[in-house]
Amino acid sequence: MDLADLKKKESRLMWLLMVAIAGLMVIGIAFVYSASEANEALASLPFYRQRYFMQLVWYVLGVASAFVVCLVTYHTIVRWSYLIYWVMIGLLFFVLIFGVKRYGGTRWLDFGFFQFQPSEFAKIAFIIAFANYLSRPIEELKKTKVLCKALGMAFLPFILILKEPDLGSAIVFMPVCLAMMYIAEVPTRFLRNLIILTVAVSGLFFVDILFAPPNWQIKLHDYQRRRLLVFFGKDYAPADATPAERKRLQLQQLNDSYNIRQALISVGSGGIFGKGWRQGTQTALGYLPRAVAHNDFIFSVIAEESGFVGGIIVVALYGVILFSGITIASRAGDQLGKLIAVGIVVLIFSHVFINIGMNIRVVPVTGIPLPLVSYGGSSVICFLVAAGLLQNIYQNRRT
Amino acid sequence: MANTDKKEQPEYRLRIISWFIVSGLFMLVSVLWYLQVVKGKEFADEQVFQSSRSVRIPAVRGKILDANGNSLAESRPSYRLCLYLEELSPLFKKAYSTAITNEAQQVLKQHGRRLSSQERQLIARKARYWAASNSIYRAGLLLGQQIQLNEDYFDKHYRERLAIPMPISAELTSTQMAMFQESSYIPPGVDIDVQPLRFYPYNTIAAHIIGYLARNDQPVDGEDAFFNYLLPDYKGVIGIEWVFDNYLRGKAGYKSVMVNNLGYRQSESVWTPAEPGNNVVLTIDVKIQEIAEKSLRTGFENVKGAVVVMNPENGDILAIASSPSYNPNDFIPRISSQEMTYLNDSNLRPMINRASQERYPPGSVFKIVTALACLESGINPTEKYIVQPDPSNPSHGCIYVGNRKIRDTAPPGEYDLHRALVKSSNSYFIHCGLKAGLKRILEMGNRFYFGKSMELPTGQSDKGFFPDENWIKGQSQRGNIWTDGDTANLCIGQGSIAVNPVQIAVLISAVANGGKVFYPRLVQRIEPMEIGMSTGKKLEFSTRTRGLLNVSNEHLQFVKKAMLDDVEDIEGTGRAAAVTGLKIAGKTGTAEVQEGAVTVDKIAWFASYAPYESPKYVVVVMIEGGVSGGRTCAPIAGQIYRGILNLERMKRLKASQLASDDTIKTEFAEIGTN
Repeated sequence: MDLADLKKKESRLMWLLMVAIAGLMVIGIAFVYSASEANEALASLPFYRQRYFMQLVWYVLGVASAFVVCLVTYHTIVRWSYLIYWVMIGLLFFVLIFGVKRYGGTRWLDFGFFQFQPSEFAKIAFIIAFANYLSRPIEELKKTKVLCKALGMAFLPFILILKEPDLGSAIVFMPVCLAMMYIAEVPTRFLRNLIILTVAVSGLFFVDILFAPPNWQIKLHDYQRRRLLVFFGKDYAPADATPAERKRLQLQQLNDSYNIRQALISVGSGGIFGKGWRQGTQTALGYLPRAVAHNDFIFSVIAEESGFVGGIIVVALYGVILFSGITIASRAGDQLGKLIAVGIVVLIFSHVFINIGMNIRVVPVTGIPLPLVSYGGSSVICFLVAAGLLQNIYQNRRT
Repeated sequence: MANTDKKEQPEYRLRIISWFIVSGLFMLVSVLWYLQVVKGKEFADEQVFQSSRSVRIPAVRGKILDANGNSLAESRPSYRLCLYLEELSPLFKKAYSTAITNEAQQVLKQHGRRLSSQERQLIARKARYWAASNSIYRAGLLLGQQIQLNEDYFDKHYRERLAIPMPISAELTSTQMAMFQESSYIPPGVDIDVQPLRFYPYNTIAAHIIGYLARNDQPVDGEDAFFNYLLPDYKGVIGIEWVFDNYLRGKAGYKSVMVNNLGYRQSESVWTPAEPGNNVVLTIDVKIQEIAEKSLRTGFENVKGAVVVMNPENGDILAIASSPSYNPNDFIPRISSQEMTYLNDSNLRPMINRASQERYPPGSVFKIVTALACLESGINPTEKYIVQPDPSNPSHGCIYVGNRKIRDTAPPGEYDLHRALVKSSNSYFIHCGLKAGLKRILEMGNRFYFGKSMELPTGQSDKGFFPDENWIKGQSQRGNIWTDGDTANLCIGQGSIAVNPVQIAVLISAVANGGKVFYPRLVQRIEPMEIGMSTGKKLEFSTRTRGLLNVSNEHLQFVKKAMLDDVEDIEGTGRAAAVTGLKIAGKTGTAEVQEGAVTVDKIAWFASYAPYESPKYVVVVMIEGGVSGGRTCAPIAGQIYRGILNLERMKRLKASQLASDDTIKTEFAEIGTN
């Protein structure tokens, strides 16, 4: 193969995807730096233990992992998919028993030097295994038994993650699962019923949480219920509360809605062009809680410091990644590649939508990271591996 | 079918998913647009609101200067120790975490329960207090002075004024300042804060007209109504400090303190700097004022009396003293209760400016007015009147008005107007006054503006009392019919008349200057605090003539000659005032304050001017409870004149010295140029 041939052929790399990912990583480093700068506890640490440097390490590890993922075709990886899936299920069980408790959830496995969040990897493992399971003749997909098994595959990690509890990560399974089944051409009637069922159940759930008398309500973690009440602007206090209790609950409500109010002030006060990198006062002065500014609420920091323009750029970069993913799906070599690509695209989209949405009060607060930007090893490596898979599918596309 | 056609398109399902994604992203962008572009301003305001605290910075108060530029009131820097809580916040945290672990363990062990949030708050409060008092204790060691930190005071400051430093000590002495600054170790969170503080270098001197200040941190009219924090400020309560408060105060500044989510100060920026106040320049000469006050207290410290020294040429007040006095410095930063008891003493009444605020019978001093009224009515001043002796006290004269006997202090015998003035004969003036008639006396009194305010800009001008025909008519209707006895009383400055020393000074000035009645002038001008400062106001108060006496010069000269002889003549009542080398003209007065028939108090007067030929100084001395004008007040006036003469001599000496210095200099210069 000489140089001329290479030029004629389309690039092996999905350049647009790479540029967008690189852009988000730059933004990630910059704003993790900015968000952690005011943290006094970190200030005395050496640079290699600073968050921005750790984030850089995660990026390097993530890119390396993505590179490894691209070394073989995705078919080779998929061959191991069920094993990976069950290992993940095992880890999810394991985390429930031995996990480290942080911020009110048992989500981490402690390996001493590294704390690992299995739910992030469970998402990727699920996509691969689920794609593998669904890539079969359409006729088979009409069988109830097959469909039930598929639903079971999705339900198992969903329940385990919900149990941690990590509502956000669990909920992400629903759109991913639906979208993949839709692309796999599962009968529309079945999907329609599934959607109706989901909507009905979640509708009932919300109505129950928000309006039902206390002893009729589903058992939910108190903080989860409160987050929902905050989002829907409902009073904590039931109608029959005593004045003292009402007062206590009102104070608590004020405290709970504090994060989201401060996030809104951060975003809103950024205006069109923002206050400038490291010039945001909301994190510097500690109004936006420092415990979340660098991860779940990093978008507030970005929006405050770079304004509407910066927000648009971030959303646009995700747009580029998502549509590169769609393109990759449409040109995938087989149904399997297409399903994996669509799964990853919907996973990224769900994360972006829920995370940015909770920063701007479009969805209730559920702690899930902004892909590639939020600080955190598990999430960063997981999404870079996902990007590697997309690239892998692109490499092995139809020609 | 169209439907199946679509479905058969290979990427139909991917396109559906794409549409979901596009609409999701579009939704995010539109909400972002709404929050950041449409509502951006509101959120920005909210952000500023929650993270900044406004602080009012009082301006440096203007000076009060005497005519020669000596400052009677000024602002000096005052240093004190302050606690900067934001610097202590890490220590608070540390103390709290230690305390909470111990407490929690103990409570768990003993009671098997967890700490309640109230208990946690209490522990946090104690931990903060502990950390702060630790720092303060060390600061105390540094200064060699134990400083106590009141826990409630500290907690109140923490809750309400967290963003601004907390003062923890009284003013530092210069030694303490040096000890603090030279120390290599300074306890955390402790630093020195400087503030302008009002200071009266002459202490009690001219205290009454200067007035004093009281704490008032509130914004004044025309300022932004809302401040989170107000730094200590003062406002004038009385005197020049009160009347010219608007000019002296200057314009308060505004600074914004940025606070973090816990309310600790992070940074601050001055938005509007404070503009210093203006200086008020008085007509007072502090040297003469000192002489006057010292002389007034020759007898004893808490003498109740007043002195006014005025320039008869223009009505400028050169000194205005009232005794007992107070020290305006005592009001800064606030008056002690011990001081307050003294100030409220109902007998001494130190707060009253006796020179302008009190009502006194003028006594024989008023005879100047009666004399002028008589002269103007055409009474022959050389005509003799024989005063008969008082049967009960033959060495003194007396006169019968109706069937009431009015006693006299002057001996019986032959009097003309001149002798009557010099010897201050009541009988003569009652006789002639009745002859001239009440109307003429009232009319002459009005020409001196008796019963009218002298409009001193100190908030201490009492108008006194002088009857007019309407008042007399009104009294008659109520059954108090005006009799010749009342007129007789008025002729000798007793009865229905009340004046203050400033009014008498105006009277004497008018006589001395040939008939011009001035408004007394106390304030010359208002000027910027520093020369060339653009922000200050400039305002001149010129001499104001109130009216003319319209008395023939001959008559005035007659009265003036009699006043001269009152001091110069061996017979004169005021000869104790005589000063060698200065021709003083004066009139004594001893009024009796009567309650029913009993004399309860005596008001002694000496009203004078000098030099006789070209009057430059009017000196009025009034003392409550004096023996007599001649014995009590005249010597004081004499002392004042001597002091003034000395002062003038010194001035001349200095001027001649300067002049000779100049000539030497110019000689040298000439040598130099040669």
